[in-house]
Amino acid sequence: MRTGEHSADEQARYLRRGDYARVTAADRPGVAQPVPLREVPVQPWGRILLGACVLFVVLIGAWEWHWRAFGAVPDYYNSNAEWAQQRRRIDNGEGNKTVLIGSSRTLFDVQLPVWERQMGERPIQLAMEGTSPLPVMEDLAADSNFSGHLLVGVSSDLFFSGFAYRGDVVPYFHKQTPSQRAGNWLSRTLIEPWFAFFDSDFALAAVLKRQDWPTRHGLPDRLDVRKLSVSEADRNTYVWDKLVNDADYRALAQHIWAQHLDGPPPPSLNTPEKLQKTIDTQIQRAVDALAKLRARGVQVLFVRQPNAAHYLEFDNKVFPRAKTWDVLLARTGAPGIHFEDYPELRGFDPPEWSHLKRADAETYTAALCRIIARDVWHPDRARMADSPH
Amino acid sequence: MVFNSLTFVVFFAGVLALHSMPLRWTTRKINLLIASYIFYTAWNPPFVILLWISTVVDWYAAQGMVKARRETARHAWMVLSVVANLGMLGYFKYGQFLLDNFTALMAALGVAWQPPHSDIVLPVGISFYTFATMAYTLDVYLRRAQPARNFLDYALFVTFFPHLVAGPIMRPTELVPQFEQPRRASADQLRFGLALMTLGLFNKIVLADSLLAPIAEKVYDAGKIPGALDAWAATLAFSGQIFCDFAGYSTTAIGAAMCLGFAMPDNFRFPYAAIGFSDFWRRWHITLSAWLRDYLYIPLGGNRHSAQRTYAALMTTMLLGGLWHGANWTFVVWGGLHGLYLAVERVLRARFRGYKPGPLALIAFGLLTYALVNITWVFFRAKTFGTAWTVLGGMFGAHAAAEPILSTFYLVCVAAIVGGLVVTHWFMRARTLEGVVARVHPAAICAVWGFLAFAIVIAQGEGSAFIYFQF
Repeated sequence: MRTGEHSADEQARYLRRGDYARVTAADRPGVAQPVPLREVPVQPWGRILLGACVLFVVLIGAWEWHWRAFGAVPDYYNSNAEWAQQRRRIDNGEGNKTVLIGSSRTLFDVQLPVWERQMGERPIQLAMEGTSPLPVMEDLAADSNFSGHLLVGVSSDLFFSGFAYRGDVVPYFHKQTPSQRAGNWLSRTLIEPWFAFFDSDFALAAVLKRQDWPTRHGLPDRLDVRKLSVSEADRNTYVWDKLVNDADYRALAQHIWAQHLDGPPPPSLNTPEKLQKTIDTQIQRAVDALAKLRARGVQVLFVRQPNAAHYLEFDNKVFPRAKTWDVLLARTGAPGIHFEDYPELRGFDPPEWSHLKRADAETYTAALCRIIARDVWHPDRARMADSPH
Repeated sequence: MVFNSLTFVVFFAGVLALHSMPLRWTTRKINLLIASYIFYTAWNPPFVILLWISTVVDWYAAQGMVKARRETARHAWMVLSVVANLGMLGYFKYGQFLLDNFTALMAALGVAWQPPHSDIVLPVGISFYTFATMAYTLDVYLRRAQPARNFLDYALFVTFFPHLVAGPIMRPTELVPQFEQPRRASADQLRFGLALMTLGLFNKIVLADSLLAPIAEKVYDAGKIPGALDAWAATLAFSGQIFCDFAGYSTTAIGAAMCLGFAMPDNFRFPYAAIGFSDFWRRWHITLSAWLRDYLYIPLGGNRHSAQRTYAALMTTMLLGGLWHGANWTFVVWGGLHGLYLAVERVLRARFRGYKPGPLALIAFGLLTYALVNITWVFFRAKTFGTAWTVLGGMFGAHAAAEPILSTFYLVCVAAIVGGLVVTHWFMRARTLEGVVARVHPAAICAVWGFLAFAIVIAQGEGSAFIYFQF
């Protein structure tokens, strides 16, 4: 059975050849190339396809069952496309809203439903894990469509080092193709609400990589950060229950933070001079971006969310408040809320030192909203509730 | 849109459904043409204008050649086609490159000239469809082929979505005749086409993107000094990545065309089992190497003149072939190295004309070929010459005290996947996939197909572009 057409001579010639099993354009120099030959091997393809489909469904079912047994639930993928969808809201008529940028603490600790109840408006969540908010702040500063309020979460080790694990998200937004937008819509509709295994932590390469491979001599044995959160449709995100309920998993998450915190600093930060220069650079970026935002009337608020234990010790040692946070506020002249300055923002116990469990995140968000409405942003923007949530 | 995306899955299901409806053949071809434009505009809608310009210019150029009464007029139509196509390619692909080099040249001559900032975006697949449409006018000019009988068949040849953005680079004589008669895939063609698409996507998503790409990135993009093991592992990983990426694309394209009832040519013939470089180029990106041979090397004189002219034609072809891959001098060096290899091989073949290597010698020559190909991949993968020299230094033992970069997992991946790839190529070097599949037990095909599809889904690729899209 063939879809192509070949001359009998050519067919015979290629059968006689020892080195190439099928004639291609490589064997026919300087002539018009004929319609190619395309055979279908003789096999019971109907039964083969059916069997392959059954095997595929069984394997996918087993894989899904495995990850649900591990504690996973279907949620929305924290992809660049999801971020871009939220970012696009600013350019589509919601530019006067409150926008949250920052790193994972802003993403996990600020609960959008609580904020909405307290402030009367659901903010746009643009924080991205492992990533300094400065690229996003600079992008918003350059976007005249944005005229709302901006909350900038400050995780010291990311903000003042400029580290951007997901730094490609801003260029992705600007270059996103219609095909990528359609793909994200399909994924949000057909896959993400239904399958728990659809998570980067459960991807094949990630699973294979974290198996117990022998350590290569001379190479530090560093584990990648594991799944920490669950995301909803508009990127409202909270800490995964497993981190709270599973002591082993929590210990693993702490161990991974410790590896990162106790390891050698990157070459760009490995001397006090380099570190100070990097901090100065990041603060200057914030100053420049803020000047542009202010010129358009955007109100900017810096927020330092709580962390604890080993993580907080690391921040205090490498990025001490006096050399970072205090300088940032002094140089920008912007208001700031540091959790250490407010009793109602202190005393939380993040399960893996860095992020609040869901119930604490709701309490924290409510307290943060009250402080913002009382001390920072104009009261008519906030619809204060008396209840803690 | 890229093949490895959910958007394509839904798009292709729609195209298949539409193509299988009992409609007139002309209507079904129009459907395919519209679908192909949707496929292309899903990247960047305005660039479809370039596709239209290329299509229309070459249609009228070919018509003009046929109607021309004088040879000079035929020649003028051919020149118009070549200038229009290469002009667009030159502006969009090489405009910034030329500007940068001109600026550097001026600076070297002491002239401080700063050009205005240009932000030229490379239209996806322009190198591929430009070569396809040029083949149309050049075949007509060289009297190898008649022009298409109607514009629809010709436009569909240029735009047909399986080959549009990354090949195989089709010749009009390969595809236009297929549009002249009604075609619909048989049930077995549809099933085998789907199997080919699964195999191609497994190569791309699982092997190239998930497992091999991060290894090359860790060494080539991290700015570290690699030792011999890391440098070789990363380069071997890239050799596997680029094969799985590009051959994966070609296999998917061939499968997609087959599902619709059309035949597309092989683009790869198990190239890592090549013995020598002329053999390599008869196995690697066949449709490009054959295009360069037919429309550049042979017109430059090929091997019909003096030895010097043959070598000059060879080097020119390979240098321009290198530049076709990207607007960077590293690609030119990559092409130049391949040209050098081909020239040396030509000299050796002439010097040892009667030599018949035994089986072990053939394997040794094959492994030597693969090793030398890997040297060229360093220039292909490295974004700068600095990185290329650093990696090459590592490969040849210049960084004995370098700290390790790749973990055991990555080294195992390279050994298993690239080792498996090379062994497979040797097993398959004188076979076809179809020939082997015909002899395998159906249950084994069933199991492999099911596992490949499962691996594709759980790999959770994020639709990263095929490497060759940038070319």
